[in-house]
Amino acid sequence: MTEVSPEQVTFKIQRYNPEGGSPPHLQEFTVPASKGMTVLDGLIYIKENLDSTLAFRTSCRMAICGSCGMLINNYPHLACHTQIEELKSNTLTIKSLPNMPIIKDLVADLTPLFDNHKLVKPYIIRQDSGEMENPTAEFTQPPQELNTFLQFAYCIKCGICVSACPTSASDELFLGPQALAQCYRYCADGRDEGQLERFPVVDTDHGAWRCHLAGACSEACPKGLDPALAIQLLKRQLASQAFGLRKKQAPSTVASPPTETEPKVPFPEFTAKSSK
Amino acid sequence: MWRTRLHFLFLFAGVAIAVLLGIHMVTLHLDAILGFFGVNAADPTGWLSMIGRASQGVWASLYIALLAFVLYHALYGLRGVILEVTTSVRTERVITRVFIGVGILAFIWGSYVPVALLSS
Repeated sequence: MTEVSPEQVTFKIQRYNPEGGSPPHLQEFTVPASKGMTVLDGLIYIKENLDSTLAFRTSCRMAICGSCGMLINNYPHLACHTQIEELKSNTLTIKSLPNMPIIKDLVADLTPLFDNHKLVKPYIIRQDSGEMENPTAEFTQPPQELNTFLQFAYCIKCGICVSACPTSASDELFLGPQALAQCYRYCADGRDEGQLERFPVVDTDHGAWRCHLAGACSEACPKGLDPALAIQLLKRQLASQAFGLRKKQAPSTVASPPTETEPKVPFPEFTAKSSK
Repeated sequence: MWRTRLHFLFLFAGVAIAVLLGIHMVTLHLDAILGFFGVNAADPTGWLSMIGRASQGVWASLYIALLAFVLYHALYGLRGVILEVTTSVRTERVITRVFIGVGILAFIWGSYVPVALLSS
């Protein structure tokens, strides 16, 4: 087996230290890259071998946790989900996610994202408080209904959709694609009765109607979700509610307890525990 | 839910403008096309013709409706653009009130002539 000689890749990384007082600037590092190496691998190499003061977030390294969102060659990506090879460039410019304040170097402040996420009450809201506080069983949900919002339940809250959104860039108060998509995800859930609590949050000057349907969020989402679609479906729900066209549907009920059945084939004697 | 209703009114106003402006354009500026269909309007852009149309209830209503839809569509759209770059809720409230005031004043000013001609 022949060993492939590593290719040299230049990482131009945004450095910013709020305690230093200087504005964000780019610093260059040369990293030996090999086939299959991700941008996150390069950053870890820099931190371990070249500059231990470099700050960036990382955790799972497999596009599940959503920690390592950053602007790579002017496009928001997860660093762990982006191979250096696929960027087709020997020079990478890496900055923190736009549309969010910078904490340090590549660490963006995701507080506005989570604040907006909390505003839309991203949890099941029901009127039967007794069942919610002391649940007796799960709520039923047919697969067809689950399919109407399942993809939006895969959101990892990485903030990439918000950083790609042109409306979030110009409107600081805009709720953003992440929160609006999550609003739809719960409003479309048949187990939920919280639409009337969420609609006033998104029916504002900086809510669902501010979305211009640029579609940048859907293009950038590393999990392949379509937040732009969720916002359009949310707009449809809002319009139905505003013009009295919404069908009143009772929320799904608690699942009935499983009925006891006799096994079709009796257990063999040698596996069945003897009561003697 | 009134912002949803306002937004739909904004969309409806856009369609209404296309229809009403279409009627205006065909009647006044595309008289050659009307002539093709056998409708011969004599000097539709002349002063007397305009005064004559404005004195008729149907035409006056059409122009007043067009004025209302254009003002609403334009001011609501412009307000949206300005609100997008405004971060203060108080400033937004002021902008909204100014736009409502400007819209009402412009509507009164623009609809004065047809209303005066109708009542004369």
